[in-house]
Amino acid sequence: MAEHTSAPEVRVSAKRETLPIRIAGQASVTRRQFLKRAAAAGGLLAAPCLVPGSALGLEDKAAPSERIVLGGIGIGGRGSGVLNWMMGEKDVQFVAVCDPQKSRREKVKQMVDKRYGNQNCAVYRDTPEFLTTRPDIDAMLITTGDRWHALMSIMAMRAGKDVYSEKPSCMTIAEGRTVVETAKRFGRIYQTGTQRLSEAKFIFANELLRTGRLGEVHTVRAHIAPWQSAEMRHDWLPEAPLPPKDEVDWDAWLGPCPWRPYNPSYCKGGWRGFYDFHTSCIGEWGAHTFAQCHVAIDATDTSPVEYGYVDNPTGDGMVTRFAGGIKMILSRGDKWWHGSCGVRYEGTEGWVAVADGYSKPEVSKPELLEGFEETVREYVERTGRATSHVRNLFDSIKSRRPTVANPEVMYRSMTTVHAANICMWLKRDLKYDPVKEEFVGDAEANRLRSRGQREPWIM
Amino acid sequence: MFRPLTGFALAAALLAGAGLSLAQTVPPNTEEEVDKLIAVLKSDAPHKEKVDACRGLAVVGTKDAVPALAALLSDEKLSHMARYALEPIPDPSVDQALRNAAGKLKGRLLVGVVGSLGVRRDAAAVPLLLPMLKEPDADVARTAARSLGKIASPEAAKALSEALATAPEAVRPAVGNGCLACAETLLAEGKRSEAAAMYERVGKADLPKHFRVAAAQGLILARQPAEKE
Repeated sequence: MAEHTSAPEVRVSAKRETLPIRIAGQASVTRRQFLKRAAAAGGLLAAPCLVPGSALGLEDKAAPSERIVLGGIGIGGRGSGVLNWMMGEKDVQFVAVCDPQKSRREKVKQMVDKRYGNQNCAVYRDTPEFLTTRPDIDAMLITTGDRWHALMSIMAMRAGKDVYSEKPSCMTIAEGRTVVETAKRFGRIYQTGTQRLSEAKFIFANELLRTGRLGEVHTVRAHIAPWQSAEMRHDWLPEAPLPPKDEVDWDAWLGPCPWRPYNPSYCKGGWRGFYDFHTSCIGEWGAHTFAQCHVAIDATDTSPVEYGYVDNPTGDGMVTRFAGGIKMILSRGDKWWHGSCGVRYEGTEGWVAVADGYSKPEVSKPELLEGFEETVREYVERTGRATSHVRNLFDSIKSRRPTVANPEVMYRSMTTVHAANICMWLKRDLKYDPVKEEFVGDAEANRLRSRGQREPWIM
Repeated sequence: MFRPLTGFALAAALLAGAGLSLAQTVPPNTEEEVDKLIAVLKSDAPHKEKVDACRGLAVVGTKDAVPALAALLSDEKLSHMARYALEPIPDPSVDQALRNAAGKLKGRLLVGVVGSLGVRRDAAAVPLLLPMLKEPDADVARTAARSLGKIASPEAAKALSEALATAPEAVRPAVGNGCLACAETLLAEGKRSEAAAMYERVGKADLPKHFRVAAAQGLILARQPAEKE
């Protein structure tokens, strides 16, 4: 174990009775207590807004007392997929969308109105106006580009909304910390879009660790995206004529990021790979796979304490180490699994690997797969968490219990993403103290924990 | 990553124009590098080069860079990048530079500087920020409230608490947020009765329901007896 930190040790060597179903994570007892009490108070006081179904044309849907009113910000291709998934839930009604791009907000309106058979979906360009004038909305679906995820979540929670945020859900360690603090302050339910935390095959792999069936776990491996690199671009695309503000509000699109001249490519997904807008190949999938590993080894309130620089463009093979000794190794490609967003957990008694496309995990010996359905069922009964990410969110909004992908899970796993990126950018090994939330003896790395935000978009 | 941006005039000219990724292969931080970046800021270099010099200084800048950066705080095109560079520089001259600028700027640039004072938790800025709670520019007033909440000094807490009753509707939620931040700091410092009083004031203020939820949560904790370590 590293001696430079006071981080609690992470060990997985014996059966654990419960998975942590808490936001918690802070070393201070007071914070844990805060959350426990906050959840209780929130349950009493922060119930979803009640809207009569007759006002929404929803006679066939859930009763008003059971209905969650949903709004959306920055819904594009990925967001539309999530929105369709959410609108499939009978107790959810989507009522309004906000986007600085007219074509996108109009497209969402068409989709929603077609689904509901009416013309009721409202559209907004200006987010502050949207948040302050729609007290009827309980929860926000935030599926902007990465640059806006954290700040939009913070703004929405300050406006009293519960939040679903696409991943990667923060651009810096400081942003992630503020998401955690804001959710705590206002007793908001928050879920980051790490859907695999709610998928049966991934849950089963985690349960193999929790129940000690892999023995003492020493290594977990996390997939990073096979496109782009850890290094990112700082150049500007050629300036193009700025469209009318109602078509594309470029200032709002940029948000807290440094100004740069308009080019339509950014607005069509071309923002990926730019330092100001993206979290690299490590963040692209690490937001998923690091979170899976953190949860699997019960490290939802900490991050690795060591990051070993690797001399390649992507971070492939980087060894990170948690206090207690468990290694988390970044891996690009299909060496350890077959499919996207793979993870593999290795213990003294065997290993398990799982990725998208699997029906059940790969294991080192067939008997490890015994009791798959029963294990998953037992997980659901024990935790009260559905094997559907959106269902987990909406159940949590009603129960006021933290989601499986709560702010602390997001923050700690994204801290690992950012620390790995910073390690690659600075081209040197780093040590991190997850209690003090700072790099050890590296002033430059510490400066990269935050970025000055462009006015007026300041947390 | 930012090292590439140091030694920057050349790197930016070579790489940015070509639309290429900046290779992150640069020599270690040296005083000479910082001087070069400062020289870019003082030169007639193109806007993009100055932006990238600010990026570099955000990581390697020292107090030597503060005057050149401070001079950009009133520049509409570079004010943000100047703050981007100044915020992480661990030198008190940064705070003084931001305070000086806050006394002169208006509108959006003032919002930025006030935000940076909050990020730096500059307690000496409190006297400057207090009157801004009454600024007609709601963006300035809101940002001042959030910054005072981050600073969370006794003076900041008192002013925010008083502003709960006087702030216009558009500013009051930011004041409430600042009060809650102050109360959390008081609680963390073990000042339970002061924290409870702050939560009570928020709970009684004319604020949306979720502030009352937050205040109720805080009160529950503040009224708990301190747990033994």
